[in-house]
Parts: sequence; structure tokens; C-alpha cells
Amino acid sequence: MSVAGRSVAEAFVAIAGRDGVRSDQGARAGAAVDGQLAGLVVRPGSLEQLSQVMALAHEAGLAVVPRGSGSALELGRPPARMDVALDLRGLDRVVEYNPADVTITVEAGITVGALAARLAPHRQFLALDPPGGATRTLGGITATNASGPLRARYGTMRDLLLGVRFVQADGVVTWGGSKVVKSVSGYDVPKLMVGALGTLGVLGELTLRLHPLPDAERSWLVPLPSAEAAQTFVERVVDSSVQPNRLEYFSDRVLDAVAAGSAAAGVAVSIGSVEEAVVEGRARLAAIARAGGADIVPVPDSFWSDTERALTPSGGEALLQIASLTSRLATTQRAIVEAVGAAASGTPVWTSACAPLGTFRVRLGAADVARTAAVTNRLRAELAEIDGSVVIARGPSALRVVIDPWGPVEAGAFALMRALKDDLDPGRVLNPGRFVGGL
Amino acid sequence: MPLSRTFLADLERLVGAGGLVRSHEGRLVYESDMHTFYRGAPDVVALPIRTDQVVAIVRLCRAEHVPIVPRGSGTGLIGGAMAPHGGVMIGMNRMDQILELDLPNRCATVQSGLINLSLTRAVANRGYFFAPDPSSQMVSSIGGNVATNAGGPHCLKYGITTNHVLGLELVTGTGELVRLGGKVADRPGYDLTGVAVGSEGTFGIVTAVTVRLLHAPEAVRTILASFAAIEDASEAVSAIIAAGMIPAALEMLDEMMIRAINEGSGAGYPKDAAAVLLIELDGPVGEVMAQGQRAAQICWERGALEVRVARDDVERALLWKGRKEAAGAVGRLAPTYLLQDAVVPRSKLPAIMREMIAIGARHRVRIANVFHAGDGNLHPLILYDDRDPEELERAKAANEELLHACITMGGTVTGEHGVGLDKAKNLPLQYADADLNFMYRLRRAFDPDAMMNPGKLLPSHPACGEGFRPARPRVPEGAWI
Repeated sequence: MSVAGRSVAEAFVAIAGRDGVRSDQGARAGAAVDGQLAGLVVRPGSLEQLSQVMALAHEAGLAVVPRGSGSALELGRPPARMDVALDLRGLDRVVEYNPADVTITVEAGITVGALAARLAPHRQFLALDPPGGATRTLGGITATNASGPLRARYGTMRDLLLGVRFVQADGVVTWGGSKVVKSVSGYDVPKLMVGALGTLGVLGELTLRLHPLPDAERSWLVPLPSAEAAQTFVERVVDSSVQPNRLEYFSDRVLDAVAAGSAAAGVAVSIGSVEEAVVEGRARLAAIARAGGADIVPVPDSFWSDTERALTPSGGEALLQIASLTSRLATTQRAIVEAVGAAASGTPVWTSACAPLGTFRVRLGAADVARTAAVTNRLRAELAEIDGSVVIARGPSALRVVIDPWGPVEAGAFALMRALKDDLDPGRVLNPGRFVGGL
Repeated sequence: MPLSRTFLADLERLVGAGGLVRSHEGRLVYESDMHTFYRGAPDVVALPIRTDQVVAIVRLCRAEHVPIVPRGSGTGLIGGAMAPHGGVMIGMNRMDQILELDLPNRCATVQSGLINLSLTRAVANRGYFFAPDPSSQMVSSIGGNVATNAGGPHCLKYGITTNHVLGLELVTGTGELVRLGGKVADRPGYDLTGVAVGSEGTFGIVTAVTVRLLHAPEAVRTILASFAAIEDASEAVSAIIAAGMIPAALEMLDEMMIRAINEGSGAGYPKDAAAVLLIELDGPVGEVMAQGQRAAQICWERGALEVRVARDDVERALLWKGRKEAAGAVGRLAPTYLLQDAVVPRSKLPAIMREMIAIGARHRVRIANVFHAGDGNLHPLILYDDRDPEELERAKAANEELLHACITMGGTVTGEHGVGLDKAKNLPLQYADADLNFMYRLRRAFDPDAMMNPGKLLPSHPACGEGFRPARPRVPEGAWI
């Protein structure tokens, strides 16, 4: 299809208004992904505009790269094509909130901070604490299935997304799921949209399950002499009646960065409940720690944001997300240290893990691309035995060109994924090339 | 279309004569699930004992264009595990082994024919349990729970089946054996496990399931509160939720149901009660004690006639007794009933209860209620006498009107039973053409020939047919092409 650039731009202007369409160098550079510049940056102000923008892009055969706050743009492969950067931050309204239902429907561009401010007076919250904090959009968190330590108790977006309104590649507005906390009416379409990186549809509206804020919540750190000792402590907590909100493992370098002492490993725990139960939980945690010769040290709430900062890579560094098992907490930590030692000796490494799930975040200091790729490959080989995975969640573009950031996907499952993508987006309009297997 | 002699011989070669049910009487056992309204016997039932047999049966059927209906224990309530178009039913009850128990990682992998409660029994002595607890859990299979994404009284706190499924082994409609998800979280790619759970056998047939096991709660506190008006009970429900509690269960019985139960075994509910609320809290002792006190206090504040707190397991069982006997007790009120499973937002409970009384009066039918109040999941039983065809028509009309009312209030047509043959026609109430078409395409990726459990879940609707294109938005006209 032949496209005359200027007149397409005018058609987008007719939809999203003069302010909603930018083609100046500054705007394009600001929306770059892996160094690629889109011809246009389009910012729809409503779901209807979003739908029309997609219909137009589809007719014109333009590749669309959706974005929220831009904090996860280094996830995935570099885009195969990028004609339009679709900025979704204009869709930031609360559509429906009735606190008595403990659910909320929001547009996908709303930020974590704006949502929390709306919920706080009602003592409710969205039980997700992904890295990146208050400025991230809910749509971005959904598309990347991002989560944080609270996952230990509340799960991920997969467990919290009840309904979703999205725009298909050709502009058709589609709804899946329901607005109530319990529904099995038709296929569970929201599950499909979580973590799909916008490759099956652009997220427009989300209906979310909320939780009541606990009356009281406190956190403790248990410094331990080794990853093995940490694993033992975790197993005892998991097998006890303690009901933690978070149960997060940290390596020495993270503890050091937040000035939490010089232990080789640590497990941080938070308990949220009624006051009596928090007090009771503390006593039990202390007993479990003492049985292993350790103590529990109270830490302030800021401990969680401090550790998150310590795990956030800066320029040139990489972030690996490793999915392993609780029973292999220590094995996996050792494998990480050994892989770095063998392939990128001298590179600093910071590690945390959601202990009851065995999912790791690994910040890897700046190293040349070949060395980081070698560390990743070694870890993938190590994890293959248990069908684990190693995903490069952040890192330089050059890294994600020399090595598949997603890693292998089983052939049978991938055939189904490709069939679905081929059917829903045959022209590869939506975020082309960035997802697993180049979908 | 009767199956050919060659086809039956091929099938027998795959599963052996003992693995086939061919007789008329034998097949009648499989003609319906627990929703006996819908009947349709398969032409033959195959009972595989190995996954490779399932693969071979699906491939054979596909080659011959024979429809397949998967079945677990047949305890569904939606006309799901029955064969309206005949064909081959694959019964999974002989594949009932626990393949792996991995307590350090709190999960288990089981064959799909395993009975739900058998799993909990296998891990209970180690302090663990499998959370989904449909009322049928003593007989229903985990594969059936996965197919319908089953719930249960305790899913208010613990979530429904999908929240406990980590991975599946699935034979798709094309006869491919695929592994989706697994023990290790976060497998890269689309969450196909998530969409396959609840697909009611229309994607394929699940042969094995990896599920999460939970640590059994340290303490349980069960409270029974009775009220003179159902509005008071509904307000107590809202107040308990608003107070920041997530009880494990929060069940309500209405006046007609209370009477029916009292006339039976005598759970001893107060005679003048118009509503009974059953509240169960579980978790660490400190939390359960404090929240139990607060919940009881809320009930008193909302005008409870009586509040009983179970002091031990015997008393707890007694409080649950009536609730568990509800469906049977209804038999004393009328020969038959239509059971509904719609959901409304919790805040709409008082409104829907008022509406239900009006609908019952309008259609001159009695409606008894026992439901999961905590998540707004209604289970009205619309009573009728099946010897009176006119009364059945009135019951059906009341049923449809009730569904409409729930959808109008922002609800959904089924909260935990599933769609099946029963509610497929109702999906267009809740979903637009584009939404239905998306589901149709989703199914097509797994089962392009639509031979898995045909007629279930997806409605017979243009949007669920070949060649349908949802209306696309208009784009501004101009010289841009």
C-alpha cells in the first residue's frame, strides 16, 4: 500500500487532534525504541480515538508500537518495524469505581500513583508493586506482566485482571472477561492479554480486583550466613502458619547497597493483617529465625523501595528475570554467581527472588554484550533441566540483537501462539517482531 | 451419522474392547451430566488409560470428522459432558493417577481423571490442601474442574480453579500433545494455560494438570448469623467486606430455603429468620480470632436475631450442615427446579434480591436462594412441577428475566458452573459481536475443525461463524492512500 506521509499524518490529526499527533524530531526521539524512530507519535485522548487510530494504521499498513510510561521498552526484541509510536498516557481516566464492590475500572494509561491516590481514602489498594513505581501505567504493567515482592501473597496481574477492553489490530474494540470478581462466562480472554506485550491488541480499559489495606503492616530482615541458610529459613516459613505479604530473598550486594549490614544473604518478610496477627506473626518469625541461629531485624517500609532501586540497572547494565523453583533458591543463586564468574568475571551482580515462587531478578553490571550473552546462555542451560527460563527484561539493544531476550519456547505451544497471532494480526501491525519467536 | 464398522474396529484396537462402551444401555449412562434437562448419548464411549491413546483417538476422529466430547465424572451442571451430536465421548476416569507430589514447591501433577478430594486426601497429613472445593468435590475430577473453571464456597478468599493451575498437558483438536505452563512460573509467551482453563473441552482434552497446593490454615472460625430481613443480611455482607476482611466463605440462605432445610434434618436455624448468613474465616489464629469478633459485632449491629460461633469442628459441621443439604432440601418444596449461577456486583445484592421477588411474583413461581454472597454469585433455584408444562414455561421465563436483570446490573451469566449447552445462548447478552468473534477465533487456533465438544460454550451466532467480520470503526476520509 502506498502511503503519502503527510496526508496520513493529517488523517491522524483528524482523529486525535493537532496536539495528539507529533512528527517533530524531539517527540520522535522521546518515543524511540531501541534507537528506532517512529514517523509519528500519536496520543489518542479516548478509547474511540484509539480505535480509529488503529483502524487507520491498519488500512495504511503502518506498524504500531504502543507505550505507556516507557519504563519497560527494553523488554523484548527490537521492533521489526516502527511507523507509529502510540502513546497511551492520554487514556488516564477512572471509568467506574464503587468501593463497596472492591473493584475498579480504569483506562489503561492511568498511572500507579494516580490509581493509588484514588483508592487510599477508601483503604483499598491494587496489590501489585512492580519495579518502576508510581509513574508506570497500568496498561504497561499488564502488557509486561510486571510484579514485585507482593506477588508472594497476591499473585500477579493474571490474578487481578477481571475484565479488559482492547483494540484489535484492525481497530475493532473488543471486551473480554467481566466486571465482577467471579465469572466463567466464555473464554478467559483477560489471561491472554496479560504479558502479551500488546501483540494481540492494544489495552484500552482494565477492570481490576482490589484488596482492603491491612490494618497494620510491618517488615523485618533476617540476615543469614549463606544462600543455603536463606533457603532453609524460607522453607520453614512457607511450611508454617505465618502468612507473609512478602518473602523476598536478597543477595549480599543488595543488602550492602541499602546499608543493611554485611550478611552473605538475607530474607525480608512483611506481614499485613490485624494488629494482633502482626504481633503474633513477628513472634513466630523470630522463633523460626532463632532455630536457625538468626535474628529478625525490623526495617522501615522504605526498605522495599530502597532494595528495588538497588536492583534497577543503569545504562549499559542488564536485568535478567529467572524463573526457577523455591527448592532451588540456593542452587540458582550459586548458578548465577558461577555463570558471572565464568563468563563475565569481575562484573558486579545484585540478586533478589520472590522466595515462595523461585522467581529471580538479577541486575548485572555493565559488561560487553558478548559476556552478558554468555552469562544468559549458561543460565539457560542450567535452568533447562527444570523447564525454567531466563528473560532479559532490560539491557542494551545490541545485547537483545545477539541473543534472543525471551529464550526458547516449546514448539507445540509456540505453534498455537503463532496460529493465534496469524489469525488476529496477519499484517503484523501490532508491535511487530518484539515478542517471543519474533511474533 | 452412525459410525462405520471400520472406525469402531480402529477405536477398539486403540483402547481394547474393555475400554469401549458400545451397548445402548451402557451409553445411556453418558447421555447427560447433572443438568439432566439436556440429553444426548454418544455413539460410543472410549475410556483411555494412557495419554498416547487419547492422542490416537483424537487423530482418528479428526480424520473421520467425528465429533468428540470429553468427560470427567459427569457432575457438571451445564449440559457440558453430553453429546448432542453423537460422536465419540472420551471418558477420563481411568486416568486418575497422581504423577508427582512436590511439597517443597507446593505443587502436584495429576492425571485429569483424578477426583478432586483425592488430591487433598493425599497431602492432608503433610498439612496441605487443593483449594478449589466445588460441592461435587467428592466425585468430580480435576480435569472437569479445569474444563469448567470450577469454584466453590471457599473461592471468595482462595479464587477459582484457574488461580491454582500452573500447567496443563493438552491434546488439541488437531491431535497434537502440547505442554502449557508448568511447575516453574512465568514461561515466556502467551498465557495459553490461562485461556485453556475454563474452555470446557472446546480446545482439546486435558490429560494432566499441574496444580498449586496450599498450606492448610492454622485456625478456622465459623459464624452463623440469622436476620429478620434479607436486606439486613445483605448489608452485613457489605459491611464485612468494607471492614477489610476476606472471609474464606460468606454464604447466604433465604427464607424459603431456611424453611425447607428446617423441615428436613433440622439444622435448627431460627424459625423466624428471613436470612441466614454463614461466615467462615481462616488463617493464623490471631487474625481469625480478631476478625471473627469483628464480623460477629457487625452482624449484631445490623440487627441480627442470633449469632452463633462454632467452638470446635463438631459445631462447625453442624453450622454447615444446613447449607450442604440445601439442594436436597429443595426437593421438599417442588419436584424440580432450574438452577441459576449469575453474578452481580456485591453492592447490588439488595437490589437483585428485591428484583427476584418481583420476578417470582410476575411469573407466579417460587424462587429459593442459597448463594455465595461474598462475591455476589447467586444460586437461585426456580421451583416448578415438571408434570405441568405451563409451569415449566413460566419458570423458564422467570429464569431468562433474572439473567437479564443480573446483566443489567453489571453482572455475568455464570460465576462458577460454566456455559455448556445451557448458557451458550445467553452469552450474547453479555458480549458484543466483536467479543464473541474473538472467542471464536481463539477456539479456532486450538481446534480449527470445531470437532471438540461442538455446541458447547460458543453460541450458535453469526459472530461465531466462518467469514464474519465485526464492524470496524470508520476512519476519516481523505487523500491519504
